[in-house]
Amino acid sequence: MSEKRYVMLADVTRCINCKACVVACRAEWDTPLGHSRDWVAEVEDTDDNGMPVLDFFPGRCQHCENAPCVSACPTGAAWQRDDGIVLVDDPLCSGCELCVPACPYDARWLNPETGTISKCTFCQPRVDEGLQPACVETCVGGALHFGDANDPDSEVSKLLAEKEWVQLTTEAVPASTNHYYYTGGKPLPKEVLPRPVQQSIQEKAISDVVNPTAKIGLGAMVATFAGAGLKKLIDRRNELSGDERPAEHGREEQ
Amino acid sequence: IQAPHQLEKLKPTTETYGFCDMCFWRCGIKVRSRDGRVVKIDGNPEHPHNYGIVCAKGNAGPMWAYDPDRLKYPMRRVGKRGEGKWERISWDEALDEVAAGLARVKEQYGPQALTVIGHGTWMKPYTRLGRAFGSPNICSPAFGFCCGPRLVANDLVAGRTLTGNETLDLENCRYFLMLGRNITEALHNGEVRGWMDAVAEGAKSVYVDPRFNITASKSQEWLPIRPLSDHALLLALIHVVIEEQLYDQAFVAEYTTGLDELRQRVQPYTPEWAEGETEIPADTIRRIAREMAEAAPRALVYSPRRVTRTTNQLGTLLAIAQLNALLGVWDRYGGIFTPQTFDIPEPDLPPYEYPRADNLPEEWVDEEGRPLRADGAGVDGAFPLAWGDDRGLANQLWRVMATEEPYPIKAFIAAGGNGFLSGPDYELVHKAIENLEFFVACDVMPNEMNRYADILLPEASYLERYDDLQTGGQREGYVALRSPAMEPLHESRDAWTICKQIAERLDLGQYFPHESVADLVDERLRKVGLSREELERKGVAKIPADPAVNFPREHGRRSEFPTPSGKLELVPSRLKAMGYEEALDYRPQVAREPDEFHLAFGRTGVHTHTRTQNNPWLTEFMAENRLWVHPDAAAERGIEDGDPLRVTDRKGRSETLRAKVTRRIRKDTVFMVHGFGGFDPRRQQAYGRGGATSNLVSNDVDPYLGSAALDRGLVRVEKASGGEA
Repeated sequence: MSEKRYVMLADVTRCINCKACVVACRAEWDTPLGHSRDWVAEVEDTDDNGMPVLDFFPGRCQHCENAPCVSACPTGAAWQRDDGIVLVDDPLCSGCELCVPACPYDARWLNPETGTISKCTFCQPRVDEGLQPACVETCVGGALHFGDANDPDSEVSKLLAEKEWVQLTTEAVPASTNHYYYTGGKPLPKEVLPRPVQQSIQEKAISDVVNPTAKIGLGAMVATFAGAGLKKLIDRRNELSGDERPAEHGREEQ
Repeated sequence: IQAPHQLEKLKPTTETYGFCDMCFWRCGIKVRSRDGRVVKIDGNPEHPHNYGIVCAKGNAGPMWAYDPDRLKYPMRRVGKRGEGKWERISWDEALDEVAAGLARVKEQYGPQALTVIGHGTWMKPYTRLGRAFGSPNICSPAFGFCCGPRLVANDLVAGRTLTGNETLDLENCRYFLMLGRNITEALHNGEVRGWMDAVAEGAKSVYVDPRFNITASKSQEWLPIRPLSDHALLLALIHVVIEEQLYDQAFVAEYTTGLDELRQRVQPYTPEWAEGETEIPADTIRRIAREMAEAAPRALVYSPRRVTRTTNQLGTLLAIAQLNALLGVWDRYGGIFTPQTFDIPEPDLPPYEYPRADNLPEEWVDEEGRPLRADGAGVDGAFPLAWGDDRGLANQLWRVMATEEPYPIKAFIAAGGNGFLSGPDYELVHKAIENLEFFVACDVMPNEMNRYADILLPEASYLERYDDLQTGGQREGYVALRSPAMEPLHESRDAWTICKQIAERLDLGQYFPHESVADLVDERLRKVGLSREELERKGVAKIPADPAVNFPREHGRRSEFPTPSGKLELVPSRLKAMGYEEALDYRPQVAREPDEFHLAFGRTGVHTHTRTQNNPWLTEFMAENRLWVHPDAAAERGIEDGDPLRVTDRKGRSETLRAKVTRRIRKDTVFMVHGFGGFDPRRQQAYGRGGATSNLVSNDVDPYLGSAALDRGLVRVEKASGGEA
């Protein structure tokens, strides 16, 4: 049992939607254009006086306890370390994408270059060498913080005690996440709240029956699911703000 | 039985220190490479420009080097200018032709017929080449198109400037009056962080701009001022600060001159008067004056950086300097600090010779018969307040090239830059280039301007070369090194090598005595007892911050203001000596017809000017700009969000781009992000994307400084037929 519990804190009041975190992540993990492990959601509103209000929510895998992606995974590739980091064991991942619709934050996607699932790992390979995640290190506004919530002397522990942090959870999605937000007391907008997830029969069968026992040697079974045309990633996560039009993907390949 | 999971391991990389060239703040960076390939750029935690953070543009630096559309080989134009037909030639052939082209122009017109205009850290050797050649017409467009008026105004009032990397004690400031300073989207890392730290700690920010941008969203108050009326607001604030004696009386008595004269000058500028000009209520103006005075000296009237907006930008910036002087913010915590600098002597070179120019009219030569700057910067009778040396007025140089007045400029070395997408007048730039006898462009990327060159030279990017040292002054003094993190791609060469090889062909080799820029760096470092090896370990060497030097008035020391009087001159003596006092007075700007809009333009955090629109890591977020239109104005014209629009100015110039219908802008104003609307097909990502501000902005001039007055543009907007933007 690990002593550590890694958490990410995003101070929304300091996020300026500069996308430094997104580009840093792309460079660090060489993700293909059109996909990203992290994003910044822009939420535009008007206040009671009709004046504009603009808020930014940096997002990524929320590293849920009892993560629904882990229970949806038929091969055991999706797993959670004792320190709370949800990971993908690449050699075990068949690319069946059952975990993709299971994630209420749309944080998982099939990497077309590797054929396996990609997602935020809290930069586990960096963290294991004592480094900060790439997004935290580069964050211009000083909005992102990362560390061990079980260490009372850590920066994140102090910040968690200082301010009122909230998680992106709802009654329908009560997952306990290891990602926190500070909004300066404002309620969370519906745009960033988790999407209710219904387990499909196949997923349920896998999570209830298969998953707790042997997690390897299931390649053939997974191939069957995948071959049956399982639901593909439908809605690409809204990491691209609705501001100016982003590139049409595919153009980059020219 | 659960098998043990495999954990991904961090792949090893080598680290090289440098400083960024993706924008002009120039953060310290640590570049990670693997097998000779740059994979990731981190911030250098020691560097005072950014302390370890890097923005999206800086993070996207690898794609600047690896852009498939890069200029790869020396090329010679074979078609007509601008036609885009080239043949690949060898470096020797190219350099021979450049030397011959420059020599030809020198022989026929004199050395002053060369202009060097550049943008970026690779400008320095080209400046030296131009000087050695004998031309005074070396120019950095940032002065006339961007921050020149701010430099001049602060120098006139205080004898000090805020430098290129603002010397503001942001994190300790408690009150910011932000005049169109979109700090979060112009995005200079250290500056944003300082401001954000203060605002997060409860400092008040009042954001004044016709548009509600990200900086406005982080501020407590947004004042949607009527476009181009900032000067009126500032004059009214000065009026209130003086009338209500809100200024720092001890400081003003001890350190300033001209209070009574200023009081008389601002007497007519009541808040009620300013309300009519600015549409900001008089009560709000009074309240802000009082709030600022209450917070002073931890208060800043925050100047925008690009201040080439109106035909009295000098007056506007003088008013900002006056207000900051009245509030006593100089050399105080939370105000303007005195930087420390790491002084490193330049290498020893023979003096430049500027030969007599006997073919010029006498008002364009100095006492010794040497040519004066053709753009009039620093020239009596032209724009004496504008800074000459290697700054000057690019907007005026284009006019000179086109008209040959006051004298012909027939050769042009472009060291980066883009006269089309960064300027205000395609027709003028086109005519100027057509009128040249020789045009060589040196750059990393193709662009609309260098498409017209006779010879095109591929520069190595900032990740592929050594460069001259970066020295600067923040609270700490510092010197930073740029080392290559990868081999130069294709046939690109670094600027120093290119310039040395051109100079040698022109018998000017004595001005480039070093074998390489690395040798030059070695010589400079030796002079201060440092070595390249030392700098390669941390990227930067520093003089520690010293509060007594940075904030002398907090430590019982005196402030120094190197003006003629030795004091802050509220009505600058040098301005009076030139008879320019009227610059202190308000001058109304353009009058809009009911169906016209003011055209505002500005930055986004994910692009730098016109340079990054081909970078796929950045176009991911913004591949084209849109025209911001208020919903009421859009409804009147039947415009819906996303509709293709035609934007036309009074000269009949037009651009097409899509609509962004938003309440985040005044009804009488439209806004575009700058840098789009590329028309060079060699930049495949940028080509044909969005609309160009440079084809719509005003080509007016501030009469005192000669700098551009870009924001006086007025446009009409309609739905574009055909549906294609």
